[in-house]
Amino acid sequence: MVKLRTWGYFADSAGKSMLRNSWMTLASIGTVAVSLLVLGVFLLVAVNVNTIAAQVESQVELTAYLGKLSVTERQALETEIKALPGVTGITFVSKDQAWERLLGWYGNDRAFLAGWEEENPLRESFEIRTDSSHRVAEVANELTGLSGVEEVLYGREIVDKLLAITRMIRLVGIVLMCGLALAAMFIIANTIRITVFARRREIGIMRFVGATDWFIRWPFVMEGLALGVVGALVSASVLAWGYYLAVRSLVRVMPFWPLVSPWPLLQHLALLLLALGAVIGIGGSTVSLRRYLDV
Amino acid sequence: MLELRNVTKMYPSGPVALKEVSITVTEGEFVFVVGPSGAGKTTLTKLLMCEERPTSGSIIINNFDVNKLRPKEVPLLRRSMGVVFQDFRLMPTWTVEENVAFAMVVVEVAPRHIRRRVAEVLSLVGLTNKRNQLPGQLSGGEQQRVALARAIVNQPSLVLADEPTGNLDPETSWGIVKLLLDINATGTTMLMVTHANQIVDSLRKRVIALDAGRVARDEEGGVYHG
Ligand SMILES: Nc1ncnc2c1ncn2[C@@H]1O[C@H](COP(=O)(O)OP(=O)(O)OP(=O)(O)O)[C@@H](O)[C@H]1O
Ligand SMILES: [Mg+2]
Repeated sequence: MVKLRTWGYFADSAGKSMLRNSWMTLASIGTVAVSLLVLGVFLLVAVNVNTIAAQVESQVELTAYLGKLSVTERQALETEIKALPGVTGITFVSKDQAWERLLGWYGNDRAFLAGWEEENPLRESFEIRTDSSHRVAEVANELTGLSGVEEVLYGREIVDKLLAITRMIRLVGIVLMCGLALAAMFIIANTIRITVFARRREIGIMRFVGATDWFIRWPFVMEGLALGVVGALVSASVLAWGYYLAVRSLVRVMPFWPLVSPWPLLQHLALLLLALGAVIGIGGSTVSLRRYLDV
Repeated sequence: MLELRNVTKMYPSGPVALKEVSITVTEGEFVFVVGPSGAGKTTLTKLLMCEERPTSGSIIINNFDVNKLRPKEVPLLRRSMGVVFQDFRLMPTWTVEENVAFAMVVVEVAPRHIRRRVAEVLSLVGLTNKRNQLPGQLSGGEQQRVALARAIVNQPSLVLADEPTGNLDPETSWGIVKLLLDINATGTTMLMVTHANQIVDSLRKRVIALDAGRVARDEEGGVYHG
């Protein structure tokens, strides 16, 4: 008499149903896993782009490109910039130095630069350090107002672009995930409907011997929950494995922008996915019980 | 214990199943409900089980007023009665013991009480040595005994039996009726719907005859055909 304990009975009937409808069980777990996998991928990308944006944003340097200035004008400008609040250092980069850097950056692929050696197209600039990244935008504003300064470049612009990208990624991810989660819920609801049908005799007996509505519902809720949670576990495992691979291979390709460390990021992600899987599973079975089990 | 006053039941589609039925049954009584097919006997048991609600009139069972019963209280009412049907309604994949125990699991009795009580009722219905068999391995009479054991395992004060011998041969039927009498003798009120005229005629219990939804006859020591 294995079914003597209430929870033992619930677990037993939920487990048996899942084995009996093994194809529906697999389909349910699969759709939950796929929808959460999509969400997970989008979240991981968004987190990393955000982190890169934060790194860029935290840079304290900016570059002021100069128009045509005489040496005295330039020195006056340098004094003026040094006096600005928040500025802690300033370095002059001549046209020749800028050219050397450009050659260095492109290394051996400099063929396309040929023909420019004669008249160097680059501009003179000041590289300015500030005492904190919060000051950068403020200092940039001041610089733009100074005569002799043609253009000011700093991390902020890159950051804005990156943030626009994350917003897109997040939006696409959420829309896609919602669609897939609905599909997953629908498939779970259908699975539970089949279970309700298969167990209608047992349900009838439960009713006339005086089972409460909740007692009758529990095995179905547990089945839905199990489908959702197992699906979430599958997606979390695939994501963890994929992310480790990505971290390892991207370190070589772009060592300057390493991915966010897998720990505790993946732990948090796994918890989120498990919670969502549980919600999808319970949601699916609830929908089904409302429609097909009038208790 | 059981009181129906001016109970009328109309199904949304179809004729009036019960018309102005008034019945009072006191504790410990044994009552036969008889009548031709379609007279409303099953409808009466469904109203008592709260599977259907009366269209008008009041029903009071074991101190529950059916008209005032909230959905949450329906299971409580059902726990105070045991029901037996013509078609046994057993789970074919569960053993005799599990089928009986289920009624106790469902009302969340502690496992150690379940074991003891199930053994007790199985010996009462004479199925102790078949406790590990599946319903499919039993005769009809034995299956009905399992159903009866399940009906009384929670010690209800009322047992409703809707044609419990409808699928059984006369000799087996008598075995079931004797059990019902034994259960009744311990103080359990018994309401048995039946077409078995010989049984009704030889026992001379109270007989309520329904005809076309009305109480045609209600007499102590009655017979099947009035
Ligand atoms: N669910 C239902 N919906 C509509 N009409 C119903 C329903 N159940 C029973 N009826 C009708 O109510 C009337 C009484 O039916 P009931 O089942 O109570 O008869 P009965 O006395 O139990 O008959 P039998 O001896 O054949 O079992 C019949 O006319 C039947 O057609
Ligand atoms: Mg009937």
